[in-house]
Formats: sequence, structure tokens, C-alpha cells
Amino acid sequence: MKRLLLALLCLFSFSVYANEPTSTQEEATDKEAFSPGEMILHHIGDAHEWHFATLGDEEHGTHLTLPLPVIAFRPGKGLSVFSSSQLAEGKTYDGLKLEHEHLVSEDGSKVYDFSITKNVASLMLSAALLLLVFTSVARGYAKRGSGAPKGIQSFFEPIIVFVRDEVAKKSIGPKYERYMPYLLTVFFFIWFNNLLGLVPGGANLTGNIAVTLTLAVLTLLITLFSSNKNYWHHIFATPGVPKALLPIMIPVEIIGIFVKPFSLMVRLFANITAGHIVILSFISLIFIFRNIGVAPVTLAFGLFINMLELLVAILQAYIFTLLTAMYIGGAVEEHHDADYQMGGGNGADEAHAHAH
Amino acid sequence: MSASFPPSEPRPDSEGNSDRMRAVARYSGIAAQMIATIGLSTWAGYWLDKHFQTKTPWFTLSLMLLGLFAALYNVIRSVTKEH
Repeated sequence: MKRLLLALLCLFSFSVYANEPTSTQEEATDKEAFSPGEMILHHIGDAHEWHFATLGDEEHGTHLTLPLPVIAFRPGKGLSVFSSSQLAEGKTYDGLKLEHEHLVSEDGSKVYDFSITKNVASLMLSAALLLLVFTSVARGYAKRGSGAPKGIQSFFEPIIVFVRDEVAKKSIGPKYERYMPYLLTVFFFIWFNNLLGLVPGGANLTGNIAVTLTLAVLTLLITLFSSNKNYWHHIFATPGVPKALLPIMIPVEIIGIFVKPFSLMVRLFANITAGHIVILSFISLIFIFRNIGVAPVTLAFGLFINMLELLVAILQAYIFTLLTAMYIGGAVEEHHDADYQMGGGNGADEAHAHAH
Repeated sequence: MSASFPPSEPRPDSEGNSDRMRAVARYSGIAAQMIATIGLSTWAGYWLDKHFQTKTPWFTLSLMLLGLFAALYNVIRSVTKEH
């Protein structure tokens, strides 16, 4: 196990400098100036093709690229499906071309882009990976029951139990069980995709705001649809607030409903994107200074940040899951006497227990 | 599957850690709500001033102060509430 971990660490550390220089070296040695901002934005953004590396010159060298299907819909013209290699290097195909990774038509008419982009392909890959891993874990429980877990099942069991006991049970309370599928899915989806984003050539999926928006909207919908009377009572007649202040506090509480998922969206997006930008910036320093002397320093820093990103990957998955569970917990929470400053709390629970 | 899953055991040592995390999460949410309250009320005032073409931006001023008051009141209420 230790040796495996060591091998994994080596793999990840190599990714820092195996990943980037191949495509940027040429730009630096060329007469044209190396633009780190452009390179970084290209690396964290979505693309219509999956580019891994360029061997040799930018113009004459070999591009190691996986072409992906482009699916475009134009009102009046209908659907057109073709390979993204038809659009490579600014080429035009079927009246369509790419402008800064944005699919546009030559005559300026509207194009709806449903392409399998790098991020979509990565999403499908990770979905397949998650299905593969967790059907195997589930099979383990079907076969061995409550016996000792084996193989991949024994790796994931403590994590699943942690999400159940530390996140769901403590945040949601007795009704936690029906939210477990969503919480576990969100946790492993974010964690796996954060890690896949750190693999050389991987897509920056969880650093894409559309992906985090979808996750946040799902959390919002689940919170709203599982909300009870007590939740809405807290928003429209907040206990402990004078009646005269309610016209001011109701908008504040309503803003609060939307701020919570909004902060979820921004937190994940910003953390993952910032991590990628910092690593790429350290690598770029070598090409900005054009000096091999700075390489050991920047690589050391890049390595350090990459190690940190491994921690951030699971931390952000945990925080997203924990906050989702807390928001759901707030929506399904039952009425407390303590809210009205009537004592309540443990004493009230005991009184109920005695009454039975 | 849920029946065969290992039952939860009381783990007193890890209890404080996750509770602290929960508190951090709650208070970080309060900050975001404060920013949104002030920002949105100021934006609403700005929009109203534009809409009614007021000479002096009374809507911006009053709604900004109102938003500030509401945000501060909400923060004080949230942190003094017992949990």
C-alpha cells in the first residue's frame, strides 16, 4: 500500500512538469512572445478537441489530439454532426468555424452548440468510472453482507461511513437516510472529478462554472422540495424578530435562500480554478524568465501546490457535501421550543420521554 | 444493502472536529449573505434612481443604508442565536 501511494505521488508530481512545457516550449523559443495568460486560460477552459501535447514545432510538429464530435443545430439548416478535426487550425466546415473555442457560423446566424466537448467527454468518462467503481463496491456488500469488506470495497467503506455518520446524520438528523444517495453521489462526483482534473491532460471539469451551477441548483431544488412548515415559518415569520422589522427581514431571508447555493457554486469553481492557475503560473515563470536557473524553484513550488491540490480535491468535496447536508438539515428540521426562548432543549426532550 | 452496512459506532474523538467544521460553514454563509444583502439592495436603489431619473440618488442612498442595517441586524441575530 505504501509503495502504491509512493508511486501515485511520483505520478502526480511528474504531471506538473510533464504536462505543460511541451506545448509552451516552442512558443518561448519562437520569436513571438510567450503569453502566460493565454496559455493558462486555454488550459483551464473547455475545448472542442482534447489536446494532450505538441511534439516539435507549433506549426509543423505533431499535435497529440483526440478529435471529439461537434454537434451543431442551426434553425432552418438543421443538425450537423462532424469531427472537430474538420475545424482544427481555424478551418471552416459546413459554414461553421471556431472563434476562441466558440462555435459560430460564417454568415453570423444563430448556432446552438451541443458538441461533445472536452468537459462533456470527461464527464462521461468519470460517470463510467464512478459506475464501475461503485457497482463493484455494491456487489461486495451483496456478496459478503456485513462481513469484512474486501478489495476496493474496503477502501471506500470508511469514506461512505464517514459521509453517513459525520455529515448526513449530524447535519440532517433522523431523516438523513433518504438524502444519502444524493450526498454520496455529490461527494464522490466532485472528489473523482477534482482528481481527474489533476491528471496530465485531464479536463478542468469541477473548475467549470456550468458544472458547479448544476450541482448547486440540484442542492437548491432538493432543499426547497424537502422543506417543511417550520422552514418557511423561519423565513416569513422569523422567531425573535419584532413584527415591525419583518418587511426588512423577509427579503434578507429570501436572499439567503439563493445565496447559499450561489456560494456553493462559486466556492467549488473558484477553488479548483485558482489551484490550476497557480500551478500553471509557476510553470510559466520558467518561460517568462527564459532561464533554467529558476526551474528548480518554480518546480518545487508547483509540486508543493500540486500536493496541496490533492488535499483540496477531497476537502472541497467534503465541504460541498457538508453544506448541502446542512441546508437540507435546515429545511427538514422540526420545530424547537428553544427558538422562542422558552427553555426547551434537552429538558423538553426528557419531558416528552417521561410522558410516553 | 443498508441492512448489511456496518452500524455506526459512537466516536467521541472525532465529534468535536466535525462540529467545528459545521460552525465554520455556518459563519462563512453569514458573510456571503451580508455581502449579497448590501449589494442587492444598493443595486435595486441604483436601478430605481435610473428608472425615475432622480436628480439626487435618494433611492441608492436610502436602500444602501437599509441594506446595511438589515445585513448587520441579520448578522447580530445569527451569531447571538443559541444552537
